[in-house]
Amino acid sequence: MSDELAIEVRGLRKSYGSVRALRGLDLEVRREEIFGFLGPNGAGKTTTIRCLLDLIRPNGGTARVLGIDPQADPVAVRARVGYLPGELRFEEGMTVEGALRFLNSLRGGRADWGHVRELTERLGLDVKAAIKNLSKGNRQKVGIVQALMHRPELLMLDEPTVGLDPLMQREVLRLVAEARAAGATVFFSSHNLPEVEEVADRVGIIRSGLLVEVAETRALIGRALRRVRVHFREPVEVEVFSGVPGVAVLSEDEGLGVTLQVEGEMGPLIRRLASLPVVSLETERPSLEEIFLAYYQ
Amino acid sequence: MWTIFRHALRRSRGQILGWGLVLALLGAWIITLYPAILSQGEQYRQLFKAYPPEMLAFFGGVTDLTEPVAYLDFVFFSYMPIVIAIYAILAGSGLLVADEESGVLDLILAHPISRTRLYLGRFLAFATSVLAILALTWLGFVVPLPGSGLDVGAGAMALPCVSLFAVLLLFGALALFLSLLLPSRGAAASVAGLVLVASYFASSLSRLNPDLQALDRVLPLRYYQGAAAVNGLDWGELGILLGAAALFALLGWALFARRDIRVGGEAGWRLPRARRSRAAA
Repeated sequence: MSDELAIEVRGLRKSYGSVRALRGLDLEVRREEIFGFLGPNGAGKTTTIRCLLDLIRPNGGTARVLGIDPQADPVAVRARVGYLPGELRFEEGMTVEGALRFLNSLRGGRADWGHVRELTERLGLDVKAAIKNLSKGNRQKVGIVQALMHRPELLMLDEPTVGLDPLMQREVLRLVAEARAAGATVFFSSHNLPEVEEVADRVGIIRSGLLVEVAETRALIGRALRRVRVHFREPVEVEVFSGVPGVAVLSEDEGLGVTLQVEGEMGPLIRRLASLPVVSLETERPSLEEIFLAYYQ
Repeated sequence: MWTIFRHALRRSRGQILGWGLVLALLGAWIITLYPAILSQGEQYRQLFKAYPPEMLAFFGGVTDLTEPVAYLDFVFFSYMPIVIAIYAILAGSGLLVADEESGVLDLILAHPISRTRLYLGRFLAFATSVLAILALTWLGFVVPLPGSGLDVGAGAMALPCVSLFAVLLLFGALALFLSLLLPSRGAAASVAGLVLVASYFASSLSRLNPDLQALDRVLPLRYYQGAAAVNGLDWGELGILLGAAALFALLGWALFARRDIRVGGEAGWRLPRARRSRAAA
């Protein structure tokens, strides 16, 4: 097990009766990175996080969180982790401040209350409000504050921006980025692909309990298929593109235009285009969402 | 653990005050009523002769209401286990599983608190809440005691409450254990309630039908002394109740320490039998 890794999972398996939620998951999250964990509902994202916190017990495989086996010493793991559950619930009979003070007391009062006030102010959260009167978005803000308030080494956030308005989503992403800048590792699952694309250093895509892809976010986007549309001043035979590595012709417009699909680097295509009478060139960069969907088609 | 204990106790303060004050008022009313009962002793003796023995069996087989133990049993301690055990069963079955079913437990256990400490803190808080309810009840009995004519001291009056405490602790621990074993809090409370009612009937009717004594011996209320404890606690019976409570509490802890924390929609809620029949289909 490496000290460079905040999370290390090998062959993790978890079943609920006949439902196999994790089927031998391998996963590595490096220290001080933001790792986006992507997958549709039921893919195993929440099950993975709950195994890492020893809320549920895997049927096989090994896991290390900050070098600690969560089953052997769950308290040590949880002391260093800030967790935002996907299904966030609070005791209804408390105020926001009461709930935060209670959760802080479970950590031995480690949080600096000045930091808590700063977080609640940035998220526009009224600490005197009763939990039972809060909207879903405001409850989510309480969840974010409790996860961040003790400045954990590792943040595990299950859908952190769900229920928040766009302005608050950006604020939460800023808080996540600031936590990483301060030395924390962030492991978060999300359906919101643009936000993962914006903040994650690396992404992992989970499908049916198995990790099907892990890559640097930019590299994953970069090495995916692109669509290139070229317009020519005079007709060009499309055969000129045959033999260019990674390029396929999708359609042509009487020799004056062509739509190409490019896999991998653009260099060979650009070199070929240099010798042609090009008027304009448009490239459609695929979003992470398109890449993600490609794994499920 | 003490953070959990204090928090859990604070959450039950409404229940403690509600149950405690109502029972204290009832106790005070019972004691202040005793002189009137005493003055009409012969009339009550005649009245009880007219009642069917099957009915009187449910109230400790009383025949003379002027006798302090019989009076206290008839008006309070004979049926109180079935009344306050409702609190014990609901509190025990919800001690952990209520938060699990609502999803709150996931967040609490993501904090640096071990399952054992959580379990212990909450169980101690439950035991303390029962103790507090019974302490208020006892106060209600002893405040009007001087001058009531009831020949029972304040210390002796605490002894039936001790026996009652052991019964309530047992039903709370049983309900807690069942809540961790069965698919839901409702199922656990229902089964524990069934044991309570069965035990009450078996204990009452075994006074009339010796065939029921074998069943009575394995049910909890056989070991509940009721008002008879004012003459001295039966330590053997008290030990059986407290021992059984400790056993169920330990079994519950063993289950809680090993099982998954459930979340709705993650399966695990079906009974094993239901799963098998699905698999067979």
